[in-house]
Amino acid sequence: MKILVPIKRVVDYNVRVQVKPDGSGVATDGVKMSINPFDEIAIEEALRLKEQGKADEVVVVSIGPDEAQQQLRTALAMGADRAILLQSGEAVQPLQAANALLKIVQEEQPELVIMGKQAIDDDNNQTPQMLATLWDRPQATFVSKLSLENNKATATREVDAGLETIEVELPAVISTDLRLNEPRFVKLPDIMKAKRKPLETRPLSDVTGDFSEQELTITQYEAPQPRQKGVMVESVDELITLLKEKGLVA
Amino acid sequence: MSPVDTETLLQTHVPEVAFSTAPDALVHYACDWTRFHTPQAEAVLWPRTTGQVQQIVRLANAIGKALVPSGGRTGYSAGAVATAGEWVVSMDKMRQIGPFDPVDRLVSVQAGVATGQLQEFAHAQGLFYPVDFASAGSSQIGGNIATNAGGIRVLRYGTTRDYVAGLTVVTGTGEILRLNNGLVKNATGLDLRHLMIGSEGVLGIITEAQMRLIDPPAASSVMLLALSSLDAVMRVFAQARGKLTLSSFELFSHLALQYVMNHRQLAAPFSGESPWYVLLEFDHASDTDEDAAMAFFETGLESGDIEDGILSGSLEQARQLWQYREGISESIAEHTPYKNDIAVRISQVPTFMRQLDAVLKQHYPGFETVWFGHIGDGNLHLNILKPEDMDVAEFQRQCEAVNTHVYGLIESLEGSVSAEHGVGLLKKPYLHHSRSQTEIALMRQIKQAFDPNGVLNPGKMLPDS
Ligand SMILES: Cc1cc2nc3c(=O)[nH]c(=O)nc-3n(C[C@H](O)[C@H](O)[C@H](O)COP(=O)(O)OP(=O)(O)OC[C@H]3O[C@@H](n4cnc5c(N)ncnc54)[C@H](O)[C@@H]3O)c2cc1C
Repeated sequence: MKILVPIKRVVDYNVRVQVKPDGSGVATDGVKMSINPFDEIAIEEALRLKEQGKADEVVVVSIGPDEAQQQLRTALAMGADRAILLQSGEAVQPLQAANALLKIVQEEQPELVIMGKQAIDDDNNQTPQMLATLWDRPQATFVSKLSLENNKATATREVDAGLETIEVELPAVISTDLRLNEPRFVKLPDIMKAKRKPLETRPLSDVTGDFSEQELTITQYEAPQPRQKGVMVESVDELITLLKEKGLVA
Repeated sequence: MSPVDTETLLQTHVPEVAFSTAPDALVHYACDWTRFHTPQAEAVLWPRTTGQVQQIVRLANAIGKALVPSGGRTGYSAGAVATAGEWVVSMDKMRQIGPFDPVDRLVSVQAGVATGQLQEFAHAQGLFYPVDFASAGSSQIGGNIATNAGGIRVLRYGTTRDYVAGLTVVTGTGEILRLNNGLVKNATGLDLRHLMIGSEGVLGIITEAQMRLIDPPAASSVMLLALSSLDAVMRVFAQARGKLTLSSFELFSHLALQYVMNHRQLAAPFSGESPWYVLLEFDHASDTDEDAAMAFFETGLESGDIEDGILSGSLEQARQLWQYREGISESIAEHTPYKNDIAVRISQVPTFMRQLDAVLKQHYPGFETVWFGHIGDGNLHLNILKPEDMDVAEFQRQCEAVNTHVYGLIESLEGSVSAEHGVGLLKKPYLHHSRSQTEIALMRQIKQAFDPNGVLNPGKMLPDS
């Protein structure tokens, strides 16, 4: 069985991003870039399934700039078998990403696509659902526990009311939540070995053709308002007076 | 003096200064992170301005009262403890930060600004304040300057000293000095600013500083390496320094790793077991950096110095790897360890460790020794754990004897009895192992010049004559 894992290169989760002075985006010069954390969990899950003998090949695919090869190499060092980069210098919207991934799915014919529930840069949470719909296959989203048996995936989902367990028929799309697993460290000797693993690069336009549904453009980025500094009051009376002054209590 | 007398005195002579004589406040403010002395302070004072500090010092001179300059009280050498009914002069209410000049890249801070607060401020300007360590949330810039604090990035960025461009100080006689005024170049004789840095509150009370901020560093990664021998550590360090842009190079032993894993419930980082581990933080922003890192690793692997290695894939993983190093102190705390923070020239590190290990094995076969440290700075943290069946008093008695070996060895290697925690009360009896009698005599004369009546931190740093 083959598992396809789409991954995205994003500004590291722990970087405090800064908006560029002209509001055209966030500064990425010299900023740490990493695999989107939910995607890292997806890779880890695929590798665990492979190690359990439930899968025999893990293919990672990324849509992004040439530099995204770094993240693909990391996935290979973690244990993925092959990598594909769909090169694109521009930001890609979820529907375009889902269409491109659909092409790869049709070529690769995986039984399972495991992907992050959302990318932390734009927080869209759309691509897995769109891919499942375009592919016309079942989906299990926000998965915190996964097992495979008899051509079926049993998935525990994190929903508002608690946990829900569902069964989906394979092939299917799984989107990962934070609690699914804890990704492994990358061993340096494995990075050396990963250099010999295949990494195919092709232009995104090769798979999407003249895709023209890029209808959403972001015109302006703004940093959130800084929190107002608190004031210390000496007494309850002072507090009440202040609240009254601000018209917060009558 | 009775508490009432003290209160009257303070209210009369320094009416603007907030203070307390409440017993719990006195105990709290009379201690730092050491726990060897019985806290005894008479009052805690919270000045808000340089002028108020001056008033306090003048009053102390007039009535012959000893003062303890007090920062975040995170010190490890009992420099900020009060043991003889002193007045603690706390900088807790001097926390103003700014103004900042983007051309000079200098920010004015009051001495009570926390190290972490300055780091945050720098970040908000798109800049960087590189001095950092585990106590940065509470330690203060004044305290950092008074101890010339170092930490985890000294290898790359140096110590606090390198970021002090100007100082405002109230001397022991109550004079206000403004030193260097933010100048980059200033060849006008003895630089008193540098005399104040690391002076542990015995020459003056630092009230304000102009701190230098720098460009933020490039994106970095962390490598954890398993090494085959102590000699390999030095060779790997030399290689790493040549091939990578290092900001940290930390060492710990297998025993240290085991304690951390137990204490923090961490998984073993490697499948095998190696005698030594090093943690490197290095610039990792480009493919060139990546190639250099891999070339460095491969060289070590081929020579047999490196046995295995892990590379952080994200800042979260970098943080997880740092845990193996940063968790050590905490993980051995329950074993009432004998702790020592010492330095030798980097090249002398293996010699020092081997010779001391041999002595310890011979004379104290029951002792377990946990080694770790900022090895890239020649700075070692020696920790000896109390054997479970030995009572604390006996252990302390034996450790006194261990001191003789440790300091004798340091003296013979021309090392330092205190790498970065200062002298305070704790290292005062051993200062002569690192500083000559002539030097100590000169230090006394300098103290005399700044504080002739001995009101500032008496009994600290300088050995009793
Ligand atoms: C968990 C932990 C980790 C640490 N790691 C490191 C490390 O990696 N590197 C390192 O260098 N240190 C380290 N330290 C030690 C300590 O944090 C530093 O020495 C720090 O600089 C002390 O600052 P402070 O404000 O707490 O000073 P305090 O402890 O309050 O005072 C230290 C000395 O400075 C004097 N002083 C304080 N403020 C003033 C002032 N305004 N004017 C004149 N004198 C003053 C005091 O009288 C005293 O002698 C660590 C401590 C802890 C608890």
